[in-house]
Amino acid sequence: MHEFSTAQGIVETAIHYAKKNKAKKVKKVFLEIGELTFLNVEQLKFSYDILSKDTILDNSELVVEVKSATYKCMKCGASGKLGKIENEDHFSIPVFHCPKCGGEIEILSGRQCFIKNMEIEV
Amino acid sequence: MFFHIIGVEADIFKANKELAERNRMLFKKHNVKTIDVMGAIGSGKTALIETMSHLLKKRGIRVGAITGDVAGDDDAKRLESIGVPVENINTGKECHLDAHLIHHAIEHFDLDAIDVLFIENVGNLVCPADFQLGTDIRCVVVSVTEGDDMVRKHPVIFGTSDVAVVNKIDLADAMGVDLKRIEEDFRKIKPNGILIETSVKTGEGIEKLMDAMGL
Repeated sequence: MHEFSTAQGIVETAIHYAKKNKAKKVKKVFLEIGELTFLNVEQLKFSYDILSKDTILDNSELVVEVKSATYKCMKCGASGKLGKIENEDHFSIPVFHCPKCGGEIEILSGRQCFIKNMEIEV
Repeated sequence: MFFHIIGVEADIFKANKELAERNRMLFKKHNVKTIDVMGAIGSGKTALIETMSHLLKKRGIRVGAITGDVAGDDDAKRLESIGVPVENINTGKECHLDAHLIHHAIEHFDLDAIDVLFIENVGNLVCPADFQLGTDIRCVVVSVTEGDDMVRKHPVIFGTSDVAVVNKIDLADAMGVDLKRIEEDFRKIKPNGILIETSVKTGEGIEKLMDAMGL
């Protein structure tokens, strides 16, 4: 459960940018997270709502977009979205080798967590 | 009243990443090889560090450790009792170590007096994965007593770690655990990855693990 401390970072950052832009109110905070992070979106939103009470973020919405991870193959140079396989329970799980040649890969993105933009009232 | 969108582009993990980078530079400056040992509760992280420390000390390699737990200093005492200098971190509520905690722990360490530093993370297969500490190697440990479905349940931590360990293989039969199944699950997500089966009790696989980590 590291969503609470992550939400704390989100709230502090959003308040900082709201003040910097002289916002009267914040309507939405748009967050992008990579699929290789271990953040649960529901827990993140729940923590955000609690932490934003009595701040300029009160009643604002945290909009979360989960982005696919990307890779570059160290053998054949191919790059793109990380491959996926479905296990027998039909869960999609990422694979950590090149889907083209099977070579070792470098993960280019997928572990990010950042506020892209915010909708504010000035 | 009017609303408008402002660009922010602010990285929430930035502070941790920057501190991890500072730790990494510091370890490099003092020529210390560092290993983040992550893994499930009771998978044998401390026992593996103990065993490897013994072997390293025999070879004249100086070992230090940082142990992270929610509470208590049991792991630290175990390692101290075999002559390993230890800095203990109690995270209180947090389920993982972060670069900031490591940064403070190494302030108390004479990095010139050690060659290898093991960082034992809080027992947890989820949260530590999001927080780089600045180590050379990230190692994930599970054991057969947790069942043979750990890899399929936690594919991402296995996919993003440098070395994966299945410990307590001496108990595999007693637990009715099929080691092949674990290996197959691992190969599905990471055909070229490093997976090492170990037993602290019999010593099996320990040397292989140390080789894989360049120790």
